[in-house]
Order: sequence, then structure tokens, then C-alpha cells
Amino acid sequence: MMDDTVAAAFPFFLDADPGARFCLFHAPLPEHARGAILYVPPFAEELNKCRRMAAMQSRCFAQAGYAVLQLDLYGCGDSDGDFGDARWHIWLNDIEHACRWLREFGYTRPALWGARLGALLALDFACNSPDPPPALILWQPALSGSRYIKQFLRVGTAAQMLAPDGVARAAGIVPSATPLEVAGYTLAPALIQAIVERDAAQRTPPCPVHWLEVDSAGPATSSDTPGATPDLAATAAAVSPSSARQIEQWRTAGVPVSVHAVAGPAFWASAEIVLSSALLDATTTLELP
Amino acid sequence: MPPLEQVRTILSETLGVAQLGRERDTPLLGSVPELDSMAVAGVITALEQRFDIEVLDDEINARHFATLGTLSDFVQSKLA
Repeated sequence: MMDDTVAAAFPFFLDADPGARFCLFHAPLPEHARGAILYVPPFAEELNKCRRMAAMQSRCFAQAGYAVLQLDLYGCGDSDGDFGDARWHIWLNDIEHACRWLREFGYTRPALWGARLGALLALDFACNSPDPPPALILWQPALSGSRYIKQFLRVGTAAQMLAPDGVARAAGIVPSATPLEVAGYTLAPALIQAIVERDAAQRTPPCPVHWLEVDSAGPATSSDTPGATPDLAATAAAVSPSSARQIEQWRTAGVPVSVHAVAGPAFWASAEIVLSSALLDATTTLELP
Repeated sequence: MPPLEQVRTILSETLGVAQLGRERDTPLLGSVPELDSMAVAGVITALEQRFDIEVLDDEINARHFATLGTLSDFVQSKLA
């Protein structure tokens, strides 16, 4: 009996430098093959919080005819290396290795699907690549490296606030020669520096962009958003104001940007694993080359 | 959605607490065990994004996190 659904994901280790990277390959239904997509994952704990959504989306993409390759970057997840040894340039190289692997299987130009800080990494790769991807798919993009690091380091400041005298001491981004320990992650100064230096405002994507955001304080969808109140005077889900500014800058520069804001939970930040079916729908129905 | 309700939604979601009270005097810091340093950082980031404000490190003070009302007031003061 013919089964119309895609096969399970294929796990393997990809040779990279240094060491190997844990990968998952989702093969599409062969008669519907439409191209390939490479997932560029989020940073630190967000990698874990996004895993379920990324897995579901990969499967949706495969069902729709796209081959999807997911990888854990150096020092992350099940890949080789410690997080403290991770560097931005190694991560860029990881993307290159992944693209090369896909090429060997006939997928010459994968679209890059970057989630959260992975969106900034994908953008950086695309802008520096002699053979740019045909499209960038950005999930809840974190495109200001300095703002992202500031938010990440805030855990330390918050911990001081919760200490007995309850007064936070200004932390800021202090250039340091020694690695920082934050929320269980060791951040090398070189990695912090690389992220802080990067900002989408300085880059013009060399390809169309599909920008997707989840609006968690907008109209509630009862099944997706725990704890939210249904709003009788519902307003449409919208991207954040800072996102809107970046989108406008890129459009003015001539970059085609499709924008999709859906109502749902902030799954990359949630204490529990929550899902956004609306985001899956919006992403799977994107018009990709 | 009024600001107090938006702040409540952000707290509820970030902390994974569905049954958070809706009144201004709903106690937060010290009463909600899920509100640890990671959660505080996450809530601040979510508030920044939602309300398009920037929270400086020296504004991160326990008194803002005393109740739902004080947190909402803090957000409002940044919007003014």
C-alpha cells in the first residue's frame, strides 16, 4: 500500500571543522521534490526551546516537497565541541559544510531558514557568500547582535536583583578577556564580540526575505496561547515595531520582503514547550523559489 | 488589549503559569516561584519587544517586580 507521508528524519554526523556536526535530514516525497532548505538554529537555550517547532516545520516542509537539513552548530546540541569553544566563524563554516553536503545530493542552492539569532547567522552567511541562497526564511529574527547579547547577559543582572539587597548593579557589555558564564553557558569573548558587531541594519540581503513573527500579546488563539484573554476587539497580529523598521529599510533598498505575523505563544522563550500551528501554516505555504 | 493585560500575558507565558492573577495587586517577586533570574530576564526582553522600549540594567529593580501593577506602571513610565 502506498504511504503518502514522508519517512522519518535521517540522523547522521557531518564532517566539519573541527570535528563533526549532528544532523537530521528530512527527505521529501520524491515525486514532489521542489528544492532544499537548511535550518540555521537559535542560540544557547533557545535551540532547545525551538526544537519541537523546528522538527514539526521540517516535517511540514518535507511533506510539501522540500528536502530539509537541520544541524547542530559547533559546540551546540549533539555536535562536537564545547559551547565555550564556539566561534561565529566556525558556525559560518558549518553552514558552508552543510550546503556542500546538500550539493552532493543534487540540492544546489538551499534556502536558508534561520530562527532567532540563527537568522542573523544566516543573513551574515548569505551576504558574504559568492553563491547566495535563493531566499532567506527568518523565524522571529533577532537581527541586532548587540541587543541580543545585552538581553542574554541580563540573566546575570537579574540574579543580582534577586539577591538579598535587591539592587542590580549595572552590567552592560564589558569587554573581557575571560569567558562569561551565563545561565549555564560559557561565552567566549571572541564569540560575544562577533555577535555584538553584527546588525542587520548594516546588511542588505542578496535575495528575497520571508519574515515570520509570532505575536504573543495580540489576538489570542485559544488553542495555542495559554493564559491569554480572548480580545473581543481583535486587532491583527503584527510584527514588532523594531522589526517593522528593519523591514522598511530593506524594502527601501529594493529587497523583496514578505511579512507574516501570526498570533501565538513565544515558543522560543516559554518555560514550557508550546507550539504555534499558525506559524507552521504560514511557513509551509511560503512561495519559495 | 490593555497594557496590564498584555503584561500579564507576557508573564503568564514566559513563566508557564496559566493561573496568574489579573488584579493590579497580584504579587510577583517572592510569590511566584517560577520568577527566577532567567524568567526575569525573559520577561524584560519580552516587554521590550512588545512595547518597543529599552530597559537599562540599572532600571532592573526588585520594586518594579513587586506586583503586576508595579510592573505595568514601570512599562507605562517607559512609554510616556
